[in-house]
Amino acid sequence: MNKIKFKIDGKSVEVEQGKTILYAAKQVGVEIPTLCHNEKISRTTSCFVCVVKDLKTGKYLPSCSACPTEGMEVDVSSKEVQDVRKTALNLLLSEHSGDCEAPCTVACPAHASVEEYVRAGKNGDFLKSLKIIKERIPLPLSIGRVCPRFCEQDCRRNIHDKAVAINDFKRFAADMYYDEYMEELPELTGKKVAIIGGGPGGLGSAYFLRLKGIECTIFEKMPKPGGMLRYGIPEYRLPKNILDKEIKHFEKMGIEIKCNVELDKDIYLKSLKKDFDAVLIAVGSWKPSSMRCEGENLADGGISWLEQIARADWTGENPGKTIVIGGGNTAMDCLRTSVRLGSNDVSCFYRRTEKEMPAEDIEIEEAKEEGVNFCFLTAPLALRKDKNKLILTCQKMKLGEPDASGRKRPIPIPNSEYDVEADTVISAIGQKTIAPKDCKTNRWGDVDATEANMKMYENVFAAGDCVSGPATVVEAVATAFTAAEGIASFFKNQDYKAPYTINVSRGHWNSLGVDDLVYLKELKKGDRVPQRLIDIDKRTTTMQEVSATFTAEELKREGERCIECSCTAKGDCKLKEYSEDYNASPEAIKGDKFKSGYDNRHPEIIHDREKCIKCGVCIKICSEVVNESLLGLKDRGFTAKVGTAMDRVLPEFCKDCGACVEECPVGALAWKNKTS
Amino acid sequence: MIKTIRVGMGSCGIAAGADEVLEKLREKTSIKIEAVGCIGFCYAEPLVEIITKDSSVFYRNVKPTNKNILDILDLSEEGRLNIPKKRLEKGLTKVLHLAGRVDPLSIEEYMQNNGFEALRKTSALSPEDVVEEVKISGLRGRGGGGFPTGLKWSFLANKKADTKVLICNADEGDPGAFMDRSLMESVPYQILEGMLIAAYATGAHKLFIYCRAEYPLAIKHLKYAIKKIETHELNVIHGKKISIIIKEGAGAFVCGEETALIASLEGKRGTPRFRPPFPTDSGWNQFPTLINNVETFANIPMIINEGGENYAKIGTEKSKGTKLFALAGDLKYPGLIEVPMGTTLAEIVFDVGGAKKEEVKAVQIGGPSGGCIPVELFDTPIDYDSLTSLGAIMGSGGLIVIGSNRCMVETARYFLDFTHRESCGKCTFCRIGTKRMFETLERITEGNGKVEDLTFLREMGDKVKKASLCGLGQTAPNPVLATLRYFIDEYNEHVYNSNCPTLECSALVDVEIDKNGCIECGLCIKNCAVNAISDDFVIDNNICTRCNSCIEVCPKNVISRTHKGEGYYSE
Repeated sequence: MNKIKFKIDGKSVEVEQGKTILYAAKQVGVEIPTLCHNEKISRTTSCFVCVVKDLKTGKYLPSCSACPTEGMEVDVSSKEVQDVRKTALNLLLSEHSGDCEAPCTVACPAHASVEEYVRAGKNGDFLKSLKIIKERIPLPLSIGRVCPRFCEQDCRRNIHDKAVAINDFKRFAADMYYDEYMEELPELTGKKVAIIGGGPGGLGSAYFLRLKGIECTIFEKMPKPGGMLRYGIPEYRLPKNILDKEIKHFEKMGIEIKCNVELDKDIYLKSLKKDFDAVLIAVGSWKPSSMRCEGENLADGGISWLEQIARADWTGENPGKTIVIGGGNTAMDCLRTSVRLGSNDVSCFYRRTEKEMPAEDIEIEEAKEEGVNFCFLTAPLALRKDKNKLILTCQKMKLGEPDASGRKRPIPIPNSEYDVEADTVISAIGQKTIAPKDCKTNRWGDVDATEANMKMYENVFAAGDCVSGPATVVEAVATAFTAAEGIASFFKNQDYKAPYTINVSRGHWNSLGVDDLVYLKELKKGDRVPQRLIDIDKRTTTMQEVSATFTAEELKREGERCIECSCTAKGDCKLKEYSEDYNASPEAIKGDKFKSGYDNRHPEIIHDREKCIKCGVCIKICSEVVNESLLGLKDRGFTAKVGTAMDRVLPEFCKDCGACVEECPVGALAWKNKTS
Repeated sequence: MIKTIRVGMGSCGIAAGADEVLEKLREKTSIKIEAVGCIGFCYAEPLVEIITKDSSVFYRNVKPTNKNILDILDLSEEGRLNIPKKRLEKGLTKVLHLAGRVDPLSIEEYMQNNGFEALRKTSALSPEDVVEEVKISGLRGRGGGGFPTGLKWSFLANKKADTKVLICNADEGDPGAFMDRSLMESVPYQILEGMLIAAYATGAHKLFIYCRAEYPLAIKHLKYAIKKIETHELNVIHGKKISIIIKEGAGAFVCGEETALIASLEGKRGTPRFRPPFPTDSGWNQFPTLINNVETFANIPMIINEGGENYAKIGTEKSKGTKLFALAGDLKYPGLIEVPMGTTLAEIVFDVGGAKKEEVKAVQIGGPSGGCIPVELFDTPIDYDSLTSLGAIMGSGGLIVIGSNRCMVETARYFLDFTHRESCGKCTFCRIGTKRMFETLERITEGNGKVEDLTFLREMGDKVKKASLCGLGQTAPNPVLATLRYFIDEYNEHVYNSNCPTLECSALVDVEIDKNGCIECGLCIKNCAVNAISDDFVIDNNICTRCNSCIEVCPKNVISRTHKGEGYYSE
């Protein structure tokens, strides 16, 4: 065999005549990306992702087909070549459709693999489900109860009826399998981290750090750990014996929690920085915001009021006639706790309307069921004391133009002031962070940490509400994940940056119609399983947990309602892989997408043409390897598509083979049954 | 005394009504009437040539009325075709010398005109000598690529293979181009003779003509001619009877590309593949294959008859012989022309085409994937290399004159609209890149372009050219890049001011009636398809579709396009 001598990036290479540049490069360890090249079939040459440059002619060559000639000099890795590859990928992405990741997972601040744990639950494997959940959510017993369910808001099932009851999978999996579940813990590396604060941010960080073999000690200023979970969220939403069970798991993992230790009083950042390899600040956001009205010190701050009741194990005096100002979840907690403490006159004053209320709908609904009054478009002006009673002066409001938050701005109506009498007035209009000493703050007064790795300075990191301002438990554990990565990288003298990822999306469900989705199988009909609640009598008189855990049978039904939106090629898509390698983006080049539709008539295989990159591999696999020639490229130009002759359904006999499915570089041809 | 009457019965003539004229002539006279091919004067069809003992008179735009026909037969002074003098001077009829002058189907007539003389001559030469003669002639492929024909032949001739294939590429796909159609309709024997000579020289004995099915008359003539050749046993080459097979293509533009053509001929989807291997190494069903264009083959008998050296006297240093062009667009004499290589664009457009200098802005040469050359560069001589250096290509011979009232952005959009649809859809850059460029041009012509769009067009155009597998993608961005190069001001005006200087981009214009000259005849109202004109002669531009009907019908010429928002009655 004749040998050809040529150069790849200046390096001399020798290869048999007739072999391609791609092949020759591989021999010397240079990987060239390609989507359409496949060893099993004849050369295709369509994607042009494998482009290299012939330095003598200045021409771009598809290395999957071009063979070197004697003395040729090929550039395979210069900026110019990479730019052409990136453009090819950008072009392919610009016509690509589908959902790399399911919208629920994208919406989850912690990016838990929602579709996967729902599927495991549907199949009855809740231990597997729990394992997937805990990859991103270290507090499933708690989050399974208190999460505002970002995932469900974006769930595509909303197009048809209501979202899948996703969070209930977490709750069930954790309720049933927490005792038997234990993470595989790596050997300790010897590195130690001090964590200030035993709430979701601190616990979450400790969890992820321990999974990396990093030892953690949590310092908690309260008598018991849990932070907001214990002292903010009421017993009837998250029973504290459940929280105890959750925290016990952390102790089982070897995470030390020291309570009644307060920063800047018992311990100091200066010495912690020296005694530990890193320090993480997760002190939360605990200071009630000011109402900015006269006499506001006569009101209780919402979170402080709850804390006081929490410290008394969710007992307290009847607050009498109670007015809670604010429309968030803390306000709802105060209202519903007041009811449970015996008050039969509890009102919520909110300056906008129900539509603008930040509290979860379910909270508002349940508060109403429990007898809470709602006074909308009402703002406090002044508070004064008259004998034993509090007198709240209010003003009626109307809605104006939307403000920066996108909600309509409340505007006072002149001469609409009036007085109301109350025994207790609680201001629950938000919380502020009290940043510890030596912590830089941002313009909102929150601890200032770099978003990418949660680093503050030197070996000090931060996570949770103290960085984000008051947010949700799941958002706190999301920052905890990043902080743990940040600290682990710091120990390796690196700056952590989340890997670049792309996500092609069909769009939000509210911009889509029923026909815009791709259904792997016939859609299972069935309304969402309703949440079972305890009797209303018990709800208004006891602190007993309001909602019940779903049953396995109910969750199976829920699981079957899942449309399984995410790409069938998730984790196995070359287009995504190379796009991420080359920093390509679905947003880079905009334009029409060809609506070529999909074909799910075959019992086992789905053909989603809108994902197809027209590499033609399936066509050649079917004709050259399988000897069937069932597929072909049809039409021209931008409207070219792969299809069967006369658009007939793929015959069933081809299912045994699936060679096309196996070789499809993207998710255009795939098995309907998702297994992962 | 009239000897013979010839009626131009090419597709162009028939489309203009030549068959009715022929019918009428037959009715009125018993003189011998010949249905001949095309002499290239499209603007004058139907054409009738009256040949007397000592002269020949052409009649133009003949109508099949009794009077018109009788006038012609009386050799009336009226209606005669005056061939513009400059056209005669600048043109050089070599390849076309029999077109329109012989009955295309008559093998006898072809033979009387020296037909098959070249084929007879070659049998006395060795195949190597024939290849050498073609090499000496300097003939380059007329399909557009311009590869030296003799060299290509030698590749196949030097191949040791039992089966060698020869294909005539008659898949003339450029819109507006009809050089090959005209040749096939008018001088089918000349093409077949060229093919047979090539078969002799290269040793090929499997011969195909790949012709688009939209050319029924050409196919009919070729089929008839092939049969005649077979009955005259002219198809015996190296002692072997060879058959010439006509394969009708379904009209995909990309099938003019040789590897796509071969795939189509093999019964597969017409999709190009990477070269090498070149067809002369591995072509139709992996056999060594030579592909030449119709016009290339039509040149061959002349080369053999006159000798390569004589042939090479015509043309420029690197481009020899003559070239056919399908002349169209904004000029006086559209049609088929033949000029020697080296003729300047100015000579073609102004002298041969009769266009007025001040009314011409550019030419688009090389079909939809060629490039625009501005009038300032019209002294450029026509040859392969000088056209390429200007960002255009010779192409197969489409030449469209663009008037000064045309918008160059719209022109680029128009051509890309064609090419992006005709991409086979295989390669990323060609399939999606051209589509994205087209969408960008659409935005610009609608006044929604952004400054970044121009950079995008340049960069994407460059990448599509460099990173496409076949000639379609490699040339598709040419009209865009060439107009960006020579007419950037027009792009800027669209992008920065949402203004189309030539008023051609409909989204950027209003249509207004100047009431000062309006005689209120109501023709515009009658002709408006969408009822956009009110009873008091005001056009509602929200309803108006800018179809131009009212402008064309107005007897006073007081209706016109105006820059959007700048009309007489705009606020």
